[in-house]
Order: sequence, then structure tokens, then C-alpha cells
Amino acid sequence: MQWSPLARRECRTVLTSKGAWILTALIVLWGFRPTYTGWNAIGQNITIGYIQTGVNVLLPIGVLLLTYQSLIGERTTGSIKFLIALPLKRTHIILGKTIGRFAGLAATVGVAVLLLTGIGVFEHGAFAIRPFVGVVLATVLLLAALVSLGVLLSTAVKSTVSAAGIVVGYILVTLFWNTVVSKVYTVVTEVPVNPYDAPASGPLFFALRLTPDGAYNVLTNWILGVGNSADQFRAVYTKLKPGHGVNAFVVEAAFESGTAPWYLHPALSIGILAGWIVVPLVLSRRIFNTGDVL
Amino acid sequence: MSSDAPVIETNGLTKQYGDVRAVDSLDLAIEAGDVYGFLGPNGAGKSTTIGLLLDYLRPTAGTVRVFGTDPQRDPVEIHNRTGVLPDRFGLYEGRSARQHVSFVTETKRVDDDPEALLDRVGLADAIDDDAGEFSKGMEQRLALAMALVGDPDLLVLDEPFTGLDPHGVRRVREIVHEENERGATVFFSSHVLGQVELVCDRVGVLHQGRLVADGTVDELRAAAGTDDDAVIEDVFVELTDARIDAGGESQ
Repeated sequence: MQWSPLARRECRTVLTSKGAWILTALIVLWGFRPTYTGWNAIGQNITIGYIQTGVNVLLPIGVLLLTYQSLIGERTTGSIKFLIALPLKRTHIILGKTIGRFAGLAATVGVAVLLLTGIGVFEHGAFAIRPFVGVVLATVLLLAALVSLGVLLSTAVKSTVSAAGIVVGYILVTLFWNTVVSKVYTVVTEVPVNPYDAPASGPLFFALRLTPDGAYNVLTNWILGVGNSADQFRAVYTKLKPGHGVNAFVVEAAFESGTAPWYLHPALSIGILAGWIVVPLVLSRRIFNTGDVL
Repeated sequence: MSSDAPVIETNGLTKQYGDVRAVDSLDLAIEAGDVYGFLGPNGAGKSTTIGLLLDYLRPTAGTVRVFGTDPQRDPVEIHNRTGVLPDRFGLYEGRSARQHVSFVTETKRVDDDPEALLDRVGLADAIDDDAGEFSKGMEQRLALAMALVGDPDLLVLDEPFTGLDPHGVRRVREIVHEENERGATVFFSSHVLGQVELVCDRVGVLHQGRLVADGTVDELRAAAGTDDDAVIEDVFVELTDARIDAGGESQ
């Protein structure tokens, strides 16, 4: 693997960047939310819930900000001339960049997970191991999907300014994804979407879980056993509690028992996350292998 | 590649950007052991040609062969045997000169000593300094050290004298000679004409993307119709002026 020195260098770039460690600190600070709702929802497994909370919003922002310059940055400064002159195929460069950045971010996010776990154990005692392992693996999938997306962005754009603009756009769109999907659904079907009483529509609920963080929430909610939804576990729990109304889209609240379409099964969110890993990688390779790199 | 095949060979090589033809039907053949100077005014297409040789850029038409291989198909084989000092490059800020050279030795899987290479180019005192703080001349020396990793069979040096003081210029010349004596083929572009005459066995003159002359300096003098003792600058001006005149007439 002649690309392994490149991957090691990319990993070191992440590990020596302040941004990566600021992300670690923010995940811990944002994730640690010892609420009664969280405790009532999953008991001592609230420690695992902290991981979902910390990762859900901050990981997409942090990872994209730490990866969007990986290739366009080298193009802009001209250091890519050294990289291309090395005995590496262009595909190897994409691989080295992606795997190196992934490894570096996995290490820093891993520290955040360990810190949250330590705090959780100290505060609430032991938790169940299997869901913990499941949520950690889901987090690894989400991280890989976001790194893959960041490298694609860095490969496809012509300037760092455009890349930064797209990152901001992506973050805004995914942050308001529920609203975007609801509006589009209403325009297409002429059926209004009330998030407090959402229509039992398979396509609507499927669209809501198509973002990487949406799929991650579906998967981790399933692992935590709170319900089938792309919203965070506390909102899902509250929605399903009799007599409570929140603006969360939860399959069990919208569909009669056993009537939800098969493609809303939470396990399929693994496929969605895998798609977010593979498709951007394939596109990056295709774009980078075609035409000039300068 | 057979032993007598050219190290670099282009046939009808063309690179077009919109309406601009940066390289126009270029036919080149650089033999093993040559020190070939690629001359031309700014914007003549020298760096574009080098970009096409190294697969930074893809040709619009024509073919490129380096060591008998297409750079697009087998960059690993070619780049394992090639050292490159690019033009208008950037270094990695926050990384030392040693780390820059080590990155190349690790990727090329050779055990060259970074200190020895950096000493050779005159950077012994700055081995562990942040390359992001280097002057232009120091950057150029570091890039040359990176190009020398693995005793390459081909050295491609794009404007190697840029930013160098007279000591640096002399050092580059000495290294070119040493590498050539070792057996390396050297292909370098420059518009510093005096240095080309001191270093090169053969010279190609590129003008407006076309090769207007190719041969030894004496052959170029003959082609330009200048005196036998004419300096390369006069030869160059004569050749490129003639080309401009020819172009003007044809229009």
C-alpha cells in the first residue's frame, strides 16, 4: 500500500489541528445532558444517549470543516504538484486522503466518546454493553460517511471559497431537513404536513431519514429501543408518551401497528449510511481521475 | 522500455484551453543520458508540457510516453523513477524540511537519509525548521532535495533557478552534472538562458506552444543564422523573433 504514508500524514494533520480537539471538547459539552426525559427514556443507558446527542449535530459540521480542504487546499497552494509527482495513482490519493482523515477523526471522536462514557459511568453507573457497541459502530459509520462526503466536496470544487460555501449550505439544509422535506412533500402531494400529527406516508418518512445524521438517528434510536425516527431519542420518547405532543416524526406515532412500509425498517439506515460512504468515494475517484488536477 | 527508446517522447502533443492552444502538436524525443534544456519565454507552454509529462494535465490530442509508458496508465512506474522539482509549488506549512523529504522517501519506499539529501542542497542548517517559514530560495532547495530521493533515472526540473542566489544557482548546476554523471536524464525548463548554455547537452526552444528549434547549442546557432560565438540569448531572440515574423506573415 504505497498510499499509507499519505494516509499517515493526513491522520497526523487531523491530530495536530486545533479544530479536531475543539470538536472533541464540543461533542462532550454538547452531548452531556442529564435530563429527566433522557433518564426516563433509556435509564442508565442515558450514557449511550449522550453519544447520540453529542455526535448528531456537531459531527457533520466538524468533520466537513476538517475535510473540505483536503484536496482543494493542496490545489490552491500548489503542494498537489508534489503529491501527483509521487508514485501514486490518483485513486490512491483519494484513498490515502479519505482513510487518513477518517483515522485521525476517529481517534479524536473516540476520545470524546470515551470522555462521555467515563462521565456517564461516574454519574449514572453501568450501562448495557451491546447497545453501547452498536451506537459506537453507528458513529463510526456516520463518521466514514461524512469524511467521504468532505473529500468528495474537496475533489469536486474549484476553490476553497466554493467548498466553504457548500459546507455552510449543506449544514443549513440538513439542520432544517424536516422543514425542507415537509415543504417539498406538501408541494408535490398537496397534503399539508403537520409535524405534531404527521401523515402516515412512507415516502415522507423515508425522505426524512436520507441524510447521514437522519439515518444515524434512526439506527441509534433502534439500538436504544426508543422508536423508529430520524429525530433524537428524547424527542422520540416524548412523542410516544401518551398525552404528549412534540414536533417529531415517529413511525409508531403516525402508522397503525404493523402498517409501516418495509423500507422504513430501521436496519435499512445501515444501507443509507453505507451509500453515503460508497457513492461519494466513487464520485471522488471518477472526478479526480478525469481531466486535469491543476 | 527498450534500452535505446527515448526516456521522454511526445507525438503531436496538444493542450487546448478554450480558444488558447498552450501546447501545439509537440514532437519531442529526449534520449537517456541527455541533459535537455527546455527554453521559452513566459507563457510559451513549458510548464504545461511538464504538466502533461507528469499527468498533472491531460492532453487534448497526441501522445506522451515516459520510459515508454503512458503517464495516465502507469504513473506509479514512471514516478518511482522520476524526481520532480515543479514550478510555482507550495510546501506544507507546519512541517519541517526533514518531514517533507521523509514523506517522499516513505512513499517511494527507499531508505535515503533526509539529512544527507538536505545537506547536499545546502539546507543542513534548516533540517528541522518549519518549511512554511522558508524563503523562496530555501523552498527551491527543499524541492530539489525531494526530487533527488531514490536516485531517479529522470529528473524533471521546472524553472530550477527561480529565487536562488548565485551559490544556489551554482549548486543546482553541480547537482545536475552529478546526477547526469550518475546516469540520470535531466529535463529542465528555464528562461534563465545563460544557465542553460552551461548545463545542457541539447536545447529545445518552445514558442507559443510550438517547438521552433531543437538541437545542440551550436546547431541552434546555425539554425538561427547567428555567429559561432553568439550567446544563447541572441540565438533565442533570433529564433523566437523569426517565429513571430513567420506567424505575422502567415496571418
